[in-house]
Amino acid sequence: MAAPITCLTALTLAAAALAGSGAPPASPARSSGPTLAAEDTMYTEVPPVLVSAPRVTLDEILGRVARGERRRDSLMTDQSYLATARLVRNADSKRPAELLLETVSRVYKKRPDLVRTQVLRDYEAHAEKKKNVKVEVSFRERAGMDERVVNFAFRPEARGRYRYRILGRELVGGHLIYRIAFEPRSLLDASDPRGVVWIDTNDFVIVHQELIFDRSPAAPLIKGVNRVVIERQNVDGYWVLKRVLLRAETTIPLPEIGRSFDFSMRLDDYAINRGLPDSLFARQAEVKR
Amino acid sequence: MKAHRPSLTALALALAVAAPPLALAQTPTVRDTSLGGFLEQLSDSTDRYFEISAAPVDTAGLDTVLADTATLPPRRLKLGLAPTFGFSRVDGSTPGLSASLGVTPPEPKHTGWGKLQGGIAHANGPDVMFGNARYTNRLWLARQPFDLDLWGGRKTAHLDRDDEGLLTLLRAFLRGSDWTQYHRDEGFEGSVTHRQGWWRVNASYRDLLQSPLHTTATWNLADRDLERPGNLAAMRGRTHELEYAAAAHWPRLPLHTEIDCQTSSRRLGSDFEYRRLHAAAGLDLTLGRFASLVPQLSYGRLTGDLLPQASFYLGGGGTLRSLHRDECGGSRLALAKLDLIGAQDLLALLRIPHPAALPLQGALFLASGATWGLDPYRGEVVPGGDWPDAHEWLSEAGASLLYNSALFPTLHCSYAWPIGPDAREGRWSVSFTRPLDLLGAEPERDE
Repeated sequence: MAAPITCLTALTLAAAALAGSGAPPASPARSSGPTLAAEDTMYTEVPPVLVSAPRVTLDEILGRVARGERRRDSLMTDQSYLATARLVRNADSKRPAELLLETVSRVYKKRPDLVRTQVLRDYEAHAEKKKNVKVEVSFRERAGMDERVVNFAFRPEARGRYRYRILGRELVGGHLIYRIAFEPRSLLDASDPRGVVWIDTNDFVIVHQELIFDRSPAAPLIKGVNRVVIERQNVDGYWVLKRVLLRAETTIPLPEIGRSFDFSMRLDDYAINRGLPDSLFARQAEVKR
Repeated sequence: MKAHRPSLTALALALAVAAPPLALAQTPTVRDTSLGGFLEQLSDSTDRYFEISAAPVDTAGLDTVLADTATLPPRRLKLGLAPTFGFSRVDGSTPGLSASLGVTPPEPKHTGWGKLQGGIAHANGPDVMFGNARYTNRLWLARQPFDLDLWGGRKTAHLDRDDEGLLTLLRAFLRGSDWTQYHRDEGFEGSVTHRQGWWRVNASYRDLLQSPLHTTATWNLADRDLERPGNLAAMRGRTHELEYAAAAHWPRLPLHTEIDCQTSSRRLGSDFEYRRLHAAAGLDLTLGRFASLVPQLSYGRLTGDLLPQASFYLGGGGTLRSLHRDECGGSRLALAKLDLIGAQDLLALLRIPHPAALPLQGALFLASGATWGLDPYRGEVVPGGDWPDAHEWLSEAGASLLYNSALFPTLHCSYAWPIGPDAREGRWSVSFTRPLDLLGAEPERDE
């Protein structure tokens, strides 16, 4: 890839000028604006320099992602966050979407496998009505901070199960972002999705992921999973899970849920490596109300 | 004469001077080119798609803890009760009751209290009570998982160690078309399985009194004559059997292998002395996004006491579909299968309107297999050494419709045409099997 140095020089000067534009003018008396002068006595032409280097192979990228994800995990000794799980019905239909369930929890985790969950909100629409059918969403927080929901296809043990392909590269604010598609090698398991990940090559971590289910992973109840998005965010220099969102359609209208629904998990208000004490995770006597 | 050309420097300076007012004027719409801005753009598109599902949480009123895992009782008992029903030509109708006692699952990677299940049932044909108890638990030893499975009691078991579950019952109860051979097991079984990523090992021990059974129920709902009225007699005796098994899905290869050795010895206190070896291998080859090619091989050998309950059997959905289940048997088995399984919805490809709940896949198959050595049905020795004589091979070709469901294993509706000079006829069959059905279940992927 060739890059003329003259352009770089110009851009550098432009940047310098931009950076300095906020400084007060040298002479406050001259308020009619800057004077533009063309400097033509010192002309230098620098020949273009062609920089070439072998492009990093896909195999090397996958190796670095595995190491990057492992390093990301190893940097954290404890974390706490606010986890919001939601179930929304009529998500993709003509009727207005409605929040059916929302559970908000404060989750504390510490290495190697300590976890504590405090439920702060347990909202259920139409809870006042007596219903024969009750929809429940229950989830258990896993101990550990390795976020397998993000990197399941890029863990070293998964390399043989998926095929990978580079879809594109993008330079974003000094970060080279690789877009890599993955798909299961075997077609025998309908529940195995394919997908696309966005990888920040500064840290070699996955920052965004979209999953695609070509076939229903749970026939005959689920007609199909239309979209799954998994996002990460950078909190104090650590890449952590931000959201998992899923939209699915059912084959027949399910009681309370209807024909389509969204399930989402949102993680906010992170505090990382704050030195959570072990006593926080100790089992306490049941509080009698 | 030196041509004057505007230098890039001058242009840059001009741009630099002009830029600040322009930038200020366009601040609200300027594209954030940082990584954070890039990710926000992706998030915005997600927000628009998912709408209220993606909205930030309202933090008002989150100052009260409604439940806390640290204050919940460490263990909560869960009791389950369910009626059961079984039917076979040796037991007749067998109503019963099953109960399970479970404890709240432990924290990940911690050994919990496990699950206790039990059941009682009455076999109306022979007027016998069945009872059993089963304890299962995942033990974490040195941070590694070991699955423990202990069973004790009395049950009716299949001579062919592969079980077709619900279909066996339905065939017997609805149409009297069950060809499975049965015997009675009374005693104890225990196994420990360790799964680690791509491989699995298992060790088992059985101390069972095995006894033959005869037909006691000749009725079925369709009031048809039984297709297989008799039942092959098992050898009566107490078996003490050790089993070692290993299975692997080889890393970076589409290769699955499995080996299973069973040993019964008088030195272990057994009435029988035999060695039973079974090995299987299969490939899962993907042809683009359209189909999978699945070749499989299976080989089995029984030496020592050639018992019917330790023999190998051919026939049915898992082996040769042109044969009834367990139609052939022997002390040796060889089987090769090749399945071509389409990945797409066949009805959609053919533009046939159908409900979304009914995605059917199409498959073609070829298979050839043989049993030789001592035939448990005829008591004769079918010639052959390590491999059978050429004329002992039974071959078939056919087509299947497959229905994948989260509720049960893949449903195969197949028609198999026999290939070769023997006088068999083509046959329809329905079976629940997995694509790599000559091998055991796939080792778990993650812990």
